Amino acid sequence: MMTAPQARPAVSPVVASASAPKPAPLLDVRGLTISYGNARGTLRAASDVGFAIRPGEVMGLVGESGSGKSTIAMAILDLLGGGGRVDSGEILFDGTDLRKLPASERRALRGDRIAAVFQDPFTSLNPALTVGRQIAEPLIQHKGLSPRQAAVRVEDLLAEVGIRDPRRVAAAYPHELSGGMQQRALIATALGCEPKLLILDEPTTALDVTVEARIIELLAKLCDSHKLSALFVSHNLGIVNRICQTVTVLYGGVVVETGATGRVLSRPAHPYAKGLVAALPRITADRRHRLPSIPGTVAKLSGSPAACVFAPRCPFAEETCRSRPQAMLTDGDGDGVRCWKADALAGTPWPDEEATGLRRPRTGETAETRSAPLVEVDHLRKIYGASRSILPWLRRAGTVAVEDVSFTIGRGEVVGVVGESGSGKSTIGRALLALTEPSAGTVLFDGADLTQQVKRGDQTLRRRAQLVFQNSAASLNPRKTVGAAMDRPLVLAGRADAEERRKTIAGLLTRVGLPAAYADRFPHELSGGERQRVNIARALATDPDFVVCDEAVSALDVSVQANILNLLAELRDEMGLSYLFITHDIAVVSHIADRVLVVYGGTICEEGPIGRVLRPPYHPYTEALLSAVPRLAGDGPEAPRILLEDAATAPGGRGCAFAARCPRKLGAVCDEQAPPVHETADGHRIACHIPLATLAERAAVFPELADADALPR
Amino acid sequence: MLAYTLTRLVYLALVLAVMSVLVFLVTQAMPGDVASMIAGQFASKEVVDAIAVKLGLDQPLIVQYGHWAAGILRGDLGRSLVLEQPIAPILLEALGRSLVLAVVALAVVAVVGIGLGVLAAVRRGKLTDQLVSGVSYLGIAVPDFFWAIVLVLVFGSYLKLLPTGGYAPITDGFLPWASHLVLPVVTLVLMLLARIARLTRSSMIDVLQTNYVKFARAKGMPESVVILRHALKNALLPTITVLAIDFGLILGGVVVIETIFSYPGMGRLLLFAIQRHDLPLIQATILIVSAAYCLANLTADLLYAFVNPKIRHGMRAS
Ligand code: SF4
Ligand code: SF4
Repeated sequence: MMTAPQARPAVSPVVASASAPKPAPLLDVRGLTISYGNARGTLRAASDVGFAIRPGEVMGLVGESGSGKSTIAMAILDLLGGGGRVDSGEILFDGTDLRKLPASERRALRGDRIAAVFQDPFTSLNPALTVGRQIAEPLIQHKGLSPRQAAVRVEDLLAEVGIRDPRRVAAAYPHELSGGMQQRALIATALGCEPKLLILDEPTTALDVTVEARIIELLAKLCDSHKLSALFVSHNLGIVNRICQTVTVLYGGVVVETGATGRVLSRPAHPYAKGLVAALPRITADRRHRLPSIPGTVAKLSGSPAACVFAPRCPFAEETCRSRPQAMLTDGDGDGVRCWKADALAGTPWPDEEATGLRRPRTGETAETRSAPLVEVDHLRKIYGASRSILPWLRRAGTVAVEDVSFTIGRGEVVGVVGESGSGKSTIGRALLALTEPSAGTVLFDGADLTQQVKRGDQTLRRRAQLVFQNSAASLNPRKTVGAAMDRPLVLAGRADAEERRKTIAGLLTRVGLPAAYADRFPHELSGGERQRVNIARALATDPDFVVCDEAVSALDVSVQANILNLLAELRDEMGLSYLFITHDIAVVSHIADRVLVVYGGTICEEGPIGRVLRPPYHPYTEALLSAVPRLAGDGPEAPRILLEDAATAPGGRGCAFAARCPRKLGAVCDEQAPPVHETADGHRIACHIPLATLAERAAVFPELADADALPR
Repeated sequence: MLAYTLTRLVYLALVLAVMSVLVFLVTQAMPGDVASMIAGQFASKEVVDAIAVKLGLDQPLIVQYGHWAAGILRGDLGRSLVLEQPIAPILLEALGRSLVLAVVALAVVAVVGIGLGVLAAVRRGKLTDQLVSGVSYLGIAVPDFFWAIVLVLVFGSYLKLLPTGGYAPITDGFLPWASHLVLPVVTLVLMLLARIARLTRSSMIDVLQTNYVKFARAKGMPESVVILRHALKNALLPTITVLAIDFGLILGGVVVIETIFSYPGMGRLLLFAIQRHDLPLIQATILIVSAAYCLANLTADLLYAFVNPKIRHGMRAS
């Protein structure tokens, strides 16, 4: 029974409850406690963590940054490093406690029986060695193959992970491959010695959405055909839903819920899991509502928890929650939840945002017909790396980053730019802020040419246009406190009164969900999400009219992301801010943008009000993007996925930029002629050789959205 | 790679051409004039003028430069006024001795410095690391001539183990040749070692934290392979550049050290030429020193590109 708090049993609850005749787990983690120690004290990264993975099972280990999920993965690999230490617990692999093995034996297991794939393919391959050699290394090390035998196996492996010319790829250096190809090569490395267990640490997080979809497909296929078990560490619930049979949810280094993926994601029992699922931006959600978000930030533990770890942020918390740690309550099927109220809360959803959350109804008039647009981009073109030289072999045509892009942004309007890496979306944003000079075309800000103004040294307009970008760590000076970093723009804007500035800073910090006391902290004392909030607060310090958000929420945890999206929406409504919202995530953009540009290879494929872009007719690229959006178990059926080929060559040339990967390519005409732009009365534009009527025949990716009138505008 | 090398060679030629003009002009501006120096203190004006005409000193500067430059292009560096010999063989000899010094010193620096750097990085924060760091600080803080003097006093004057100066050609036998090299080489090593060790240490520490090193460990590679194959190769990039530049420096003559040990390399030759106002010798020496320096830089860049596939391929593509 799950109604009363229970004393915490010493053994892993999942195992204790595994009474049904199931195969013995391949990986059985029990009571794992990990801490990081440095001069300033110790931090608990994992407290009494337990879970089990059965043969052939893929388990998702989900949680936000600071939840300890990667730490646990590294502990299993014996690669903690950096002051990390396993204090207690067992890591049973095939019945053997890995912790009792000497380091050399653990090393021998690594890459052989337990293989890993990490997050960032771009940095996981050694730039100085050929890809083939790196894949061959474990084969030679663990299987005793000769380099020549290994080379043969390497080509087989590369073929197996879907690389079409294995020989060329094996001889290539990592930088010659695309991110998707690099990740395939890493997967091939992991598969080489036919391991039993894969540790996948956010294996697709750094990849483009369309590439991610393919890699997930590949991983699922491989796990199935090789009967692999895998620990899939991820923050992405949609991806977990696609590939994992079971899921374990971590919060603050503590397992809060575990169970079958379908059940946990459709009917989460723990309040934190409820919050996570609710905060996920969904394309199909009613955009007039604010996204549900989880208030507060993850608290860091220094010892074993004395209360429910989630209590400070839990809307259902009571006194009992704060007075004692929660026990894992399990049922016979291996489902477990660490909340004494779980049963009572069974039907209760995560609370909506407070009543004021209903956003100002936005009609077409407010944004589009009010006076002149704030930003006008006309035939913008940007070429990087072109150079003239007297030495003929040095002349270079350069790479086209943006090719003839025109659009406008109205006052108070949010224009989303969706595209993958190399689409030119960031270049567009930088050109709009005069951070890069267009090779051709103009950018008008409030009727004035911003580039020219900045060239003349006039900073007034620039103050009205700010940037928030993804890399939150790089944009803050490590030697300045948060307050000092935010003070500067205020001083530059002529705010003389120090006391008043301090208040403004405190207000801004509170606004972005940080305690005002953070003004005295240094960037390294903040989490990645907190730093990004500081960046947003700083961008807002000068009361700008226009903010370019370049992947501003992409690195943030789901709950924080929802918070920031709500905040940005609020600011837009209250202050009439305009945004250019650049992202790779079409679900995020659908929540905040009024209009969307879908860009590929430096050109706009599709442009229109968000409601139009999400429904047919689709540009073939938009259709693929939408079909790649992962959905949760409870959200309705997944659309058939359109898997794109990996890009073999960079887009460019005379024809359609998407021609090399387009699944609906008509033929030579797509390669040779720039596609015509079909435009409809409501401002929906699609650049494609396929006639609009034919494009409109495709089924909607999100049938829920098919009814145009029900769609919030 | 070829295109890149070609480009760099073109630049090298340009730099040297500019250098030659500068060298020529600077030496022209130096006090004293060649003709009266050759003629001697008491020569009459007629004699001086005659010598000037003979040397072509009466012609416009641009013509003089043309003659000089044309000579160099033919491999004729002119004649030394003081030594009254063709310059080329003198220079070549000095350059050869500097080359010996540079090769031996840098070989030691490379092996010991990189070794210490790697060791310190791998044992980061431990006693070995602190020792290496401490000694490195000392090496950087103390000026090179101090070591030279200490070494001369201890090994030469006090212990009388080694010759304190001079040079013995290898034709005199290996031992005398080597014994003359020991002290200058040790001084140079002391001077350069610290920087190489520290540089290697810090880039090694960076590389050891990269994902590809983590991934190599996740593949179960033994630590020695991780360090030598995966980390060191990447960590050496900056070190290589500095080593090559140091090479150019020694080749171009390390005046202080050559003077203290009376080592007849490029540095001493240049000093001699300047003290004696031997204009053609000064011009030729400086030009060769610049060329050596530029070549060392070029080698550094080419080496860097060669070790770094990213650059190597970028060049092939262009
Ligand atoms: S134990 Fe209490 S605070 Fe913790 S999740 Fe359950 S309801 Fe919330
Ligand atoms: S123009 Fe051709 S290649 Fe481009 S999107 Fe349309 S069908 Fe595909």
